[in-house]
Amino acid sequence: MSGEGAHVEHDHTQWAETSHCRVAAVRHFGAFAVVELIAPRVARRAAPGQFVMVTVPGGAFLLRRPISLFAVHADRISLLIEARGGGSERLTQLDVGDAVDVAGPLGSAFPTEGVRNALLVGGGIGCAPLQYLADALGAAGAHVTAAFGFRDFRSARAAGAFSIERLSVATEDASVGRAGTVINLLAALDVAPGTVVYACGPTPMVAAVQRWTFAEGLRGYVSLEAHMACGTGSCHGCVVDTARGRLRVCAEGPVFRLDEVTA
Amino acid sequence: MSVRADGPDLSVKLGPIALEHPLMDASGTFDLLEYAQRYDGDYFEDFPYAAYVPKTVTAEPRTGNPAPRITETPAGMVNAIGLENPGVHAWIEELPRWARLRQPVVVSIGGNAPEQYAAVVAALEERLAGASAGELPRIEGYELNISCPNVSSGLQIGADPASTREVLAACRQATSRFLLAKLTPNVRDVTEIGAAAVEAGADGLSLVNTLKALVLDAVTLKPFLGNRTGGLCGPAIKPVALRMVAEVAQAFPGTPIVGMGGVMTGLDALEFIACGATAVAVGAANFTAFEAPSRIVQELRDELCAHGFASVDEARGVALQA
Repeated sequence: MSGEGAHVEHDHTQWAETSHCRVAAVRHFGAFAVVELIAPRVARRAAPGQFVMVTVPGGAFLLRRPISLFAVHADRISLLIEARGGGSERLTQLDVGDAVDVAGPLGSAFPTEGVRNALLVGGGIGCAPLQYLADALGAAGAHVTAAFGFRDFRSARAAGAFSIERLSVATEDASVGRAGTVINLLAALDVAPGTVVYACGPTPMVAAVQRWTFAEGLRGYVSLEAHMACGTGSCHGCVVDTARGRLRVCAEGPVFRLDEVTA
Repeated sequence: MSVRADGPDLSVKLGPIALEHPLMDASGTFDLLEYAQRYDGDYFEDFPYAAYVPKTVTAEPRTGNPAPRITETPAGMVNAIGLENPGVHAWIEELPRWARLRQPVVVSIGGNAPEQYAAVVAALEERLAGASAGELPRIEGYELNISCPNVSSGLQIGADPASTREVLAACRQATSRFLLAKLTPNVRDVTEIGAAAVEAGADGLSLVNTLKALVLDAVTLKPFLGNRTGGLCGPAIKPVALRMVAEVAQAFPGTPIVGMGGVMTGLDALEFIACGATAVAVGAANFTAFEAPSRIVQELRDELCAHGFASVDEARGVALQA
């Protein structure tokens, strides 16, 4: 893929002031939860691909947790959270009516303008930002196809949270959908020329999606995960190596061009 | 003791630098331009700290340490950023972008050798000398970071009195501005290093930097951070920091001290003042919420009232009195 086109531009809003939110709804999918928050000032500014920093209630955790926006409807934002450590586990236990502090939206967004055919590729909890993206692309009239890969039955429970018309699933242990990785799904797809690829998932998956995308002569974007302290560009804790040098996932990302990250 | 009708007097003098209140940010934890970009109003107008300490700048650009660079620990976090910065020359180019800041600026400087520190001071002094009014931020002092635990330069300067003396002496020759030496807690006797710094020309001392630490990956049992070791900060280190600030305040009466280490609340800040700090820097708390700086300033005001102090000066050192 050539280097045409700009970097992922920040033409959207970032806003770091704290919103004191109430939980409006919670849905559980095994170790995952979709937590819906009443957050009008976040929802109004948000764009697909952006994230929020969420304070873990109870005071036991110093740092907020970066969580990408799973869906935005009217004055509500939804977060798909996987219980992975003590902090994220506590967040999956939120109940309707609970108070929770969030700051956002933060970071760069997926460029969607002018996209007619989109292929959304997710792995594990990395699928989280792709629902919001699918909603936005669909509303803009794009043809959206999604392919998600999961390790096993347990992690594939996350797929139940999604509402995307053309969604195929693969599991490495063959428990759900096609046996294998998301790359096996991609190989079986009939992809229109000019399709834009949007990827989010673990590093080996991103690397494989990069290879596949370039081999198909396509271009795309990737949303990266990183350990963060501030989420707002101050601490330089969340850097990744890119073609533009070491960049902060929270500030220059989390969305990068697929050809500029060194996965 | 009586509290004035309009509240306690929060102003302090850090050497020659007049501060509206005692709170500033700890270097590397708060980026003014990043905050301004994510704020609805004019962050320059609403800037919460009394002075701004930017992220450490070095003579040459540094890419910093490989990821992962941070991890949370009980009541704290461990980081190994590695003084990532664009180098002093690129850094100077950016200064006009935030010249609008009204508060004084203390520039944090890092390096591996005395001449590297002095080169940064000299470059800044040269630029300041040639600046027109209002063209640059109000740089009124320097904080010599001789205590970063995350740069692999062999011997840590701030752990060695002779090296500390050399860095201070080299910088003292290059500027007449206020000069702070930032001390590491990773030493047997923090006053020994403090003495070396003051003798060689430091106007004040700031402490503590992070405590050198190791965190393992729970699965592999290998060091988690890309740099292997890192620096512990946050509430976990506050008692250590208070003890060291008290030791330094008693050893160097009259020397301005910037106390820091795990300040999360106004009461924490007041405790550092009670241990003899002239001013107090806020570090990890900046990561916990965008509003932490303004909250801590307000809480300090409330705590002074609650404790019956009419001013910050009145509260200073009360923990050290018999």
